[in-house]
Amino acid sequence: MSEFKSGFFVGGESTNGRVLIVDDEPDIRKVVRMTLQKAGYDVLEAENGEKAIEVVNSGENRLLLDVIICDIRMPKVNGIEAIAYLRQNYPRVPLIVLTGFPDTDMATSLLRQGVVDYLVKPVEGEKLKASVARAMEQRELAHL
Amino acid sequence: MRAVIIGAGRGGTALLDVFHQIGTIEVVGIFDQNSSAPGLKRAQELNVPIYDRVADLLKSQGLHLVMDVTGDPSMESVLREQLPAGADLVSGQASRLLWTLVQHESTWQTELLHAEKLAGIGSFAAGIAHDMNNPLQLILGLAENLTDETDLDAVHLQAQDIIDAVKRTTAICRDLTSYSRRTSLRQDCLVGVNGKLDEALKIARYAVALQDIDIRKLYQPDVVVKGNPDELLHVFVNLITNAVQAMEHRGTLTLETSAMAGTIQVRVSDTGCGIPRELQSLIFEPFFTTKPPGKGTGLGLYNIKNVIHRMNGSIGVDSHIGRGSTFTLTFHDESGVGESATPS
Repeated sequence: MSEFKSGFFVGGESTNGRVLIVDDEPDIRKVVRMTLQKAGYDVLEAENGEKAIEVVNSGENRLLLDVIICDIRMPKVNGIEAIAYLRQNYPRVPLIVLTGFPDTDMATSLLRQGVVDYLVKPVEGEKLKASVARAMEQRELAHL
Repeated sequence: MRAVIIGAGRGGTALLDVFHQIGTIEVVGIFDQNSSAPGLKRAQELNVPIYDRVADLLKSQGLHLVMDVTGDPSMESVLREQLPAGADLVSGQASRLLWTLVQHESTWQTELLHAEKLAGIGSFAAGIAHDMNNPLQLILGLAENLTDETDLDAVHLQAQDIIDAVKRTTAICRDLTSYSRRTSLRQDCLVGVNGKLDEALKIARYAVALQDIDIRKLYQPDVVVKGNPDELLHVFVNLITNAVQAMEHRGTLTLETSAMAGTIQVRVSDTGCGIPRELQSLIFEPFFTTKPPGKGTGLGLYNIKNVIHRMNGSIGVDSHIGRGSTFTLTFHDESGVGESATPS
């Protein structure tokens, strides 16, 4: 795989990094996982903001999570609330929004809060991978 | 004002419906020589007394107005002879003018209902985008994967997933095009209320996020009301949307139907912010809204009230600040009329 950058070792396998996809639609999680795994990422899933916060806070994820891809319209803790929590508690983990609804005001507000990208579904695999790679660079810079 | 209507054809029926919606006019009776005139059936539904003889009808106490909508030139002189003291007769050209105005009012109300429905569909954008773009993301992702997938079983499975996703998006279009069409002019029929409420929930979820709403359905089986199915769907979509907005998308929405002692009730309750007492009498007025400019037409509850009145029903609200609101629709139980319920 030519895209190896950080070269973390998770479960004995080398990966490009660990990505959490937060979306209430299992189909979206499945297809994002498919795209990113093929690109060499280790992918975790959460079905809403509440679960995402649980995943982020559990075990080694505190240290090893590189990028979070988050939907907006979700039950329980929605994307806006989850992003606010994550920006406050994990400011070094880059966030990408992947939403079904193009909303310029919301995009502006989220980008101001430090979100790396605001992607509107359907997004092509290449664009998603490029966005994750950009987020990974930010993550690495934050570690310097 | 106490009025009688002479003639129960199209004009008499329209006049009866309009007068019935105006609280200050009481129709004390109706007459037509033709016992199968449509207005007589409507009068029966509205509990307006039907007379066999004009003379008997004109003997009604304290009459203010005699409306002659027979279109029969000889009727005017007959009525003038028997007109009680203190009553005015409206006939001939004056009555034709009145009928034209009534028809205009009826067309205007239908147009207003449609305009408000279309304005409301603007607020569906977020829900439609969510429901369309999610399957599209799946279709795109799978199709991209298929370009270099070598496992034939995986190809078959993913192709099937794509077909299912396409079907989901077509269902969205079907729901919305059916809802946005102009209200059909078909005759009123018996409508299954529980099915209509479920259908309304499906539509309302485009306008408001329901995922954090606890939905309780307290349905009595087989509850039916007589009315226009499209208009009733619009009423329910509006009430559910208002309820969810009042709860700011979190709380309990209760949909309840009951049939008891000849009365049908439909209740839509929320656990939202409630309506201040001083505003409760204004909410059914046209153009009244508490929403910011551009967010509401102020015609939702006004149109609902008109539809419910046309169905010979009533609407009321019970609301408490901080506890929520319950809108109750009350109808006569007409399930025994012998018509078949429409599938819903």
